[in-house]
Amino acid sequence: MNNKRKLNRFGIFLVAMFVLIAILADIISPHDPWDRFEPYEKPNRNHILGTNDIGNDIFSELIHGSRASLVVGIGAAIIATLLGLLVGLFSGYFKGTLDEMFMGITDIFLMIPRIPLIIILAAFLNSSNWLIMLALGLLWWTSTARVVRSRTLQVREMDYVASAKCLGFRNSHIIFSDILPNIFPVVVPKFMLTVATAMISEASLSFLGLGDPSMKSWGLMINFALIKGGLVNEMWWWYLPPGLCIILFVYSIVSLGFSFEERKKVNLR
Amino acid sequence: MFVSKKKVLRYFIALFIIFTLNFIIPRAMPGDPITNLLGENFIASETMIQELKIELGLNKSLPAQYLDYWKDIFTLRFGYSYHFNQKVISLIYMRMKWTLALLFPSILLGAIVGTLLGALSGWKKNNMPNKATTWVFLATYSSPPYFLGIIFLYIFSFKWGLLPFKGFYETGTLLDVIQHLFLPILIMSAFTASRNYMIMRGSVLIEKEKLYVVYAHAKGLYGNSILFRHIFKNASLPVFTLIALDFGFLLSGALFVEIVFSMNGMGTLIYEALLSRDYPVLQGCFLIITIMVIAANFIADILYSIIDPRVREKT
Repeated sequence: MNNKRKLNRFGIFLVAMFVLIAILADIISPHDPWDRFEPYEKPNRNHILGTNDIGNDIFSELIHGSRASLVVGIGAAIIATLLGLLVGLFSGYFKGTLDEMFMGITDIFLMIPRIPLIIILAAFLNSSNWLIMLALGLLWWTSTARVVRSRTLQVREMDYVASAKCLGFRNSHIIFSDILPNIFPVVVPKFMLTVATAMISEASLSFLGLGDPSMKSWGLMINFALIKGGLVNEMWWWYLPPGLCIILFVYSIVSLGFSFEERKKVNLR
Repeated sequence: MFVSKKKVLRYFIALFIIFTLNFIIPRAMPGDPITNLLGENFIASETMIQELKIELGLNKSLPAQYLDYWKDIFTLRFGYSYHFNQKVISLIYMRMKWTLALLFPSILLGAIVGTLLGALSGWKKNNMPNKATTWVFLATYSSPPYFLGIIFLYIFSFKWGLLPFKGFYETGTLLDVIQHLFLPILIMSAFTASRNYMIMRGSVLIEKEKLYVVYAHAKGLYGNSILFRHIFKNASLPVFTLIALDFGFLLSGALFVEIVFSMNGMGTLIYEALLSRDYPVLQGCFLIITIMVIAANFIADILYSIIDPRVREKT
């Protein structure tokens, strides 16, 4: 038990650190990420991680990149969780035709190959981080909806919900103030796993060159490092840090999610 | 077989909606529909464009175009790629086998390794090796598959020169193919295994609190035989669901790994099509991937009903 709490604290610390870095990016970063210095510099005192092909300071890019990556990941997860929560709550609470309809839609959405669909959309439209965030959010709500629905089906049969019904509360009141708080234990870990998937997807899309060049994310940095020869020239300080940042952030949020799940003994699938 | 009619209906609705989406997207997006349908690499004179518009049926009304679109799909005419100078369907057919050669061994290997290790990890006490495996799998779970690919490629091929850098060719012997597929399959398997591991671990953690386990203990069964005779069957059910639901995600992961290793599969095809904005190829790939994902879900449903009799009784 003791160990789990420690892991949790470590995860919370890391997530908080990344969020803080993203908020304070302007203050922490030693240079403006768009300023240009001598290109292809090795790590030195002035540029801790050297400079890239057009002379931007990689360390500052890394700090500012946390913004784009976190905004896309967390934003997409918020959209997905809200959607999934609404669909799951309503179909679990009202049952019947509405449930049948909502679950049908969920099943259909589950089968859409999401990344290929986003690739097509981003290829036609000028890709921007907002588009990717919205598309990820609108496509990733299905598993949350399923989990919320099955939990709602359990909770709605509990005595306190029955008594609230007898007291004559409106359905919307029962759903949002009586049932919703009891759904949180399953939604919170699901939210964290959604953040993780969204961030990995964003990084993958950026790797294909579909990222938003006006708002550099970690995935886009890896993409640039690869196509501009960072790997072949063994400039590990260029492509490794953004990748490690993605792994570290996703790791911390996923381990938080899983430890939450194990502690609460709730099954997510 | 055992799949309910309702589910089959949902599969068809899903197919219908996604295919319709694929019809709407190039026509609704900003820009000239002829560019959207032929790809940006295609340059033609004004008269040729007029001819092509008639050939593609763009002068017809939208409902008529929509009917033609379905006719094309049933006759497997997915358009023509002016970038590759080939029919889209034959392009995809050529590339798909390599994607499948990467995907299926990885899913199988990942399922076996992931469920076994996950089951053991959920069952055993939280000792040092157990924690270490969980840590490794969690880290794999957290990394984008293509990034793992890049690192492995760098270490094994670039630094140590043990394995080849890129792709493989149709003429190679079986040994060549294995040598080239080794790293990509290793990475994809690790990626699949990590997801199965986490689910199986959680599932066993829940199952082992149940009464039938206590009863098995009381009967005097030894630890591991309780795990593999009793718990494993029940706990592995969520993994089956996961593999089906995850199929699309894993497939996308495989596409990215292919790109890193310059394999001649669908991932590289999509990447090349993206670079030249070759829309017919992109759309063809999307349709084929959709069919594959839905088929995988369907097969998983059938398997699931065979494994879990409770599902069968309900239908």
